Formats: sequence, structure tokens, C-alpha cells
Amino acid sequence: MSGRRWHFLLQLAPLAAVALLWEALSTAGIVPENRLPPPTRVLGGLADLVSRGLPPGSHLFGHCIASLRRVLGGVAAALAAGIPLGLMMGWSGRLRSLVNPFVEILRPIPPLAWVPIAILWLGIGDSSAVFIIFLGAFFPILLNTVAGVLSIERGLVEAAVILGASKRDLFLKVLAPGALPAIITGVRIAVGVGWMTVVAAEFTGVKSGYGLGYMIMTARDIQRADQIVAGMFVIGLIGFGMDALIRAAERRLLRWR
Amino acid sequence: MDLRVEGVEKRFHGAAAGADRVILGGVSFAAPAGGIVCVLGPSGCGKTTLLRIIAGLESPDRGNVAIGDRVVRGPMREIGYITQEPTLLPWRTVLGNVEFGLELAGIPPEKRRETARRYLDLVELAGFDSYHPKQISGGMKQKVALARSLAVEPRVLLMDEPFAALDAQTRNALQEVLLHVLACTRTTVVFVTHNVDEAVFLGDIVVCMTAQPTRVGTSVEVTVPRPRDRTGPELNALRKELLVFLAEQRQKSRPGTMAGGTEAE
Amino acid sequence: MKISVVLLSLSLVLLGAAAPAAAAGEKLRLGYLRSDLHHLAAWVGIEKGFFRDEGLDVETAGIFNAGAEEMSAFASKSIDVGYLGMAPSVTGVANRAASVKAEALANAEGSAIVVRADSPLHQVKDLAGKTVAIPGFASVQDFLLRRALEAAGLEAGAVKIIVVKPPEMITALEASQIDAFIAWEPHASKAVTKGVGRVLLPSSQIWKGHPCCVVAFEGSVAHDRPAVVQSFLKAHARATAFILANTDEAVRIGVQYTGMDEKTVRMALGNITYRSELERAPVREYASYLGRLGYIKETDPDAILRDYIDPAGLVKDARP
Repeated sequence: MSGRRWHFLLQLAPLAAVALLWEALSTAGIVPENRLPPPTRVLGGLADLVSRGLPPGSHLFGHCIASLRRVLGGVAAALAAGIPLGLMMGWSGRLRSLVNPFVEILRPIPPLAWVPIAILWLGIGDSSAVFIIFLGAFFPILLNTVAGVLSIERGLVEAAVILGASKRDLFLKVLAPGALPAIITGVRIAVGVGWMTVVAAEFTGVKSGYGLGYMIMTARDIQRADQIVAGMFVIGLIGFGMDALIRAAERRLLRWR
Repeated sequence: MDLRVEGVEKRFHGAAAGADRVILGGVSFAAPAGGIVCVLGPSGCGKTTLLRIIAGLESPDRGNVAIGDRVVRGPMREIGYITQEPTLLPWRTVLGNVEFGLELAGIPPEKRRETARRYLDLVELAGFDSYHPKQISGGMKQKVALARSLAVEPRVLLMDEPFAALDAQTRNALQEVLLHVLACTRTTVVFVTHNVDEAVFLGDIVVCMTAQPTRVGTSVEVTVPRPRDRTGPELNALRKELLVFLAEQRQKSRPGTMAGGTEAE
Repeated sequence: MKISVVLLSLSLVLLGAAAPAAAAGEKLRLGYLRSDLHHLAAWVGIEKGFFRDEGLDVETAGIFNAGAEEMSAFASKSIDVGYLGMAPSVTGVANRAASVKAEALANAEGSAIVVRADSPLHQVKDLAGKTVAIPGFASVQDFLLRRALEAAGLEAGAVKIIVVKPPEMITALEASQIDAFIAWEPHASKAVTKGVGRVLLPSSQIWKGHPCCVVAFEGSVAHDRPAVVQSFLKAHARATAFILANTDEAVRIGVQYTGMDEKTVRMALGNITYRSELERAPVREYASYLGRLGYIKETDPDAILRDYIDPAGLVKDARP
């Protein structure tokens, strides 16, 4: 077996061991099934989520797509607002001093605290969920962009000015690429926060009837612990997948480091 | 004379009243078109400040700098600038860096690639197009910086101790490369250094600075034809003369000696 | 002699102190749902001291937002007795989430389909193609809605059913995000008194006399302390009778526990039937509906009933 494959399997070993232990404890009756269903039951619940769907008729795939769409929408909005503002704030100390007080007050408010206001303003459709994700994703992206610009060597900016760069050239060809490593870190954080938030945001109800949080809430309503855990597992898996994708993109984009 | 520096003064504003320190106390010199003027001076005499003023990055408190018949009021494309630390854009390749100025000038891709390759060739870096700055040595980075600055064909090129961070062999090699490239262009060069050997090897004129408040102390023309023998008698004589001058300046800037103390403005 | 008098008095005092302690009653931890007017009997029992009269020391151990939450409390044995919906309790027992025994009814009916006050919808048939909100899947309201749709000749797919938490239903209706909702009192009456909604159909007209909330005991309590169960049910029956005979006082207690205004509570009370007799047949019907719709895995309703209803506890005509 090749070295890499062996290494990969080795990483899975602890997970497999925990799963076996969990199954054993459950079979022995030490952990009651209604508190924590064993892996076999969870897999059964997962199969139900895929085949029959929960609520019946709404299949797992549809829930995943709905939640992903909300997260990507919120993160995209955060990128569109956060990167330009971050670049400008990184460039201008005056703008930084002007905007910072607002940032420092709004940033500590957990996105979920905005749920009642979001529903009041935007209703129970996709827009309120996207708004909440946006709030969670915006600040990491903004702050990391600012930090990224501030970390650029002053000499680089001067060299560009001397070679004839206009303001626009500076922003597009020096500040943006220079801040990119920090921005990507911000995106990783933003996607992570956004994914955690979307599930909880969907607990309050979604108009389309699709969403992983909505699905788990339904499993909770009908007290199917196996499906609750299966849903949680799917959420964790997707979150991991998104992060892995971003890290791969980072490696490609930042090959020059 | 292509570049004229006239009575440039600059003071450093201290926090307390009356704590202003005069860095440049009226510097004046001129550079002939296509010539190399080496500015030699003790450390801390404000050579970098002077160069930044000529580049238009800072403005003088008094006096001015003129190129041809235009006064320098801010950074101009006609003035190139190379610092001691090469300021290459790390995310661009070697070729991408050299193309940078041409890109900013709106030159179309084919033409600028061709021009960039030509200059890379001149600095003896042909074939390193797709390397990133991380992958090349300090000496090679300065070559790229040189190619990048020259690719936009500036009228004047300012160089602030560009080879000071390199080892002696690399430094000598880069001096030769510089001379080689300049032979193909009409660029006027102002080369700041604290290294006497370098100054007499490279310069057509060597301008020596005094201690603070800095003025031009003495100016020497080096008429030795190129290629110059580094250890030859002509350069040795010049070297001696300049070293003596520099030693005097060092004494002047030491407080507590008879010759020390700041001269009042 | 003085010493013996002192000693005697002392022992009498101690006995006296001990006696009330014995009579202080059996401890029971109670749970109910927040602002759910269906559970009025519990509040009456507490306020009027009916539980105390039966020798019970009832402590409110949990006020929950949903029946499923209350079932979790049963599962972790944090409460001994609870008022909660028949729906979540049957579902939980069928899905083996907890062991509870339903011993009595808390109320029947008391839900309604509500539309916007100015909407053109007047019959259930008009709901075709519209969005209707329910408080949760597998709830009684879910069942009632589907039954109403069936009766009107509509397929379940003809209406878009989504889940919205009852406190948010009125706002969603007002903002036209949903076209109708079905919820338990007092939310239906609240929509009316706020001027936002109009009752399309009360649940009594969808399924006459349908059970809604029950009084349930945690499995081991029902098994080990039958005398306590009986005492509680007696007090519960007394509270239920009290509500029927003393409307004003019942309204006052309802206002106190829900925090809603008197007008809403009075209107809501008019829609709820308070009764303590629990019948098998309707529960059986509900259990088979759960299986049919795929909410539970167990498809034999009688098996579920065996686990759920405690025949010894069925209180018939329990009025003091």
C-alpha cells in the first residue's frame, strides 16, 4: 500500500475505534438508546433521511442544497461588501477611525441574536437567513482584509507608485493581491461561522420547507434521536468538505508564498 | 546638465519646541545626461532622505529638484527608484514583475512581454521568467528590480545603496551588470552608497556629503575610462582622498570633541 | 419536676413539628407548556391549593416551549408528571424516546385555522395552492389540518405546509408570508383581538371532541406510586370542574399565567373544552395516522396504546 493511502487510513483509525466503542456501550445497555442512539441506528436514520425524507417527502439532498445556497449567498454578500470596504479601510487611517466604532459595537453581537429582527424586517424566507449569515461572515472578512492590507510592506506600495500606478492600479494590483492571504483566512472563518449559523437560523422556520436546520428541528419534534444525530453528522461532514475545498484553493492561489 | 539639485534643505521636526534637527542643510549638485553620479557620505547623513526628495516621495523645506526644465513635485514616471531591499511583488513571477511598469503604462501584452524579456536578458536572468521571488537569491532579486525599473525607460534612475545587503562577489558582479545595462540606455543615474570602492568604480562624478547639517563637501570627477581596474593606481588615489574626507566628517559628528557640536543654522 | 415538664413540653413540640412535616405531602415535579391555555387545570390546581388538599407537594419543575422538550425532560426523569399535547407524547412513546403513561385528558378541542382578517378565503377548499403554517410536524394541528383538507376533497399536496413557531405565526400572517395558520389557543384568539386574523374553522368543527392535551406521568412514577397518581388525578378533575363553574376566576388565572390580556383569554377559553376523561378510540386513530404518514416506525397502533395508556388510570367521570 502506498505511503499516502496508509497515512490516510491511519487517520481514520481513531474515528473507527470511537464508533466501535459507542456501538458496544449501546448494545451493552450502558448508554440508553433514547439518549444516544448507536452508530447502526444513526446509519438507519440516515438511510431514512435519504429515502423517505424528513418531513416525509423532503429528501436529504434538497435540505443540503437549500442550506448551502443560504450560506453561499450570505458569504458572497459579505465578500462583496467586506473586501472593498476592507481595502479602503486598510489604505486610509481616517476611514478606519471613522468606521471602527461601528464595527466594534456590532461585531460582538452573535448573528443569532439578530434572528427576531431579521424575521421582523425580512420575514421567514431565504432573505432573512441570508442576512443572518451575512452578519456572521462580514466581520471576519472585513477585519482580515484590513489586516492584510496593513501587512503589506510600504516599500511595495511606493515602488508601484514610482512605476506609475494610479489609485485604482494600487487597489487592484497591489493591495488586493497583497491582502489575499489574509482574505482567504477570513473566508475560511466566514464560511465556518456561516455554516454553523445557518443551521440554527433555520430552527425558527423556513418558508420553503427545506434546510438542514429545519430537518433537524423536525426530527426533534417527532423525537427521532437517530435522525437528529444523523443530521448533525451530515452537517459536520459538509462543513468539513467546504473547509477542505477552501484550503485546496488556498494552496493553489498562494503557491508563491 | 540633465538633473539639477538646488539648495535642498530638510529638517526633522522634533516633538519639543526648538528640537528641530536640520538633516539637509542645502544640498546642490548636478548630473549630466546619461552619466552616473555617486553620492558618498557617512551613515546617517540623510542620503536616503535626499534621494526620496529627488524621487518626489518627500518635499524639501527649501530648494528644489529639476529634471530638464521641469521641477519635481511628486513621483514621476521619468524617475525610477531602487531601494536596498528589493521591493518585488511576491505574487508575481520574475517576468510579471519586470512587466509591471509596462502594464501600468497600458502597453499591450505581447509588446511588454518582449520588452521585459529583453531587459531580463540584459541583467543576465534569461530563462527565469516563471520563477517567483521566493525562489531566487538576493542578488537575483536586485537584478529583477533593476530590469523592472529600466523596462519603463526612465530618464533618471535613483539607486539607494542597492547592493549593500549582498556579499562582496555578488556586489561586484552586479556592478558590472549595472554598467553593462546602462551602456545600452541613456539613463541618468544617481547612486547613493557609503562604500568608497563602489563609488569610484561606478561613478563619473563622486559627490561627497558632509556630516549633518549635510551639504556637498567635495565633488570629484572620475575620468578613468571604463572598464576600470578596481585595484589600479588611479582609483587608489581617489579612494585615499575620499576616505580622508569621510574620516574628517566622522570626527565632526562626534559630540564632545573640539571639532564636534552642531553648527547652528 | 420542673425538668420533666420541660422534657415533656420539648418532646410535644418536637412531635408537633414532626407531624406537619409528615402531612406536608408527597413531592411531585410538574411540567407544562409556556402560555398554553390548554393546561389551565394545572394552574388552577396550584393557585387554588387543590393539589395540596390531596396531600401533594407539587413543584413546578419545568415550563417548556414545546411538547418534544417536555418529553426530553421525562426521558431524563427531571419531571414526574406533565401536561402536554397528546401528539408529542404519543410520538415520543412510539419512537421510544421516553416512557410516559397518559392518565387523563387535560382538554379537548381548542385550536383553529386562522386566515387574514381581510382575506377572501372562506372555506377550507379555498386553501388550495396556499401556504399554511403548522406548529410542528406530527402535532395534533398537523393531523387536524390534513383531516380538514381531506374532508374538503383536497389532497395533502394541494396545500404548502410549513412549520412556523406559534409566536411568529401572527407576524408571518400579517406580513402575508403565510396565507393561514393552525395553532392552539390562545394564539388563534390573539390573532383576532389584534385585528390581524379571522377564524376560518375551529377545530371542534374539524373533529368534534378531539383530544388535545393530556396529563401524563413518567413511566416509573406511574408504576411505583399509584396512590400518588390517583390523588393527583382527583385534584385535576376538581380543577377541571372548577374551570367550568367559575369562568371569571379561571380567566383571571389564565391571564396571570399567560401574560395575555383578558379579552384574548376570555375568547380563547370559549373555544376550549375542559374535560378529564381520556378515551382510547381517538388516541388510536391518531396513532395510526402517525404511522401512515411515516412519522413513526411502529405501525401497530394497539401496541403503542399498550405502552401509552394506563388502563388503571383511566378516570371515568371523575368529579368530586
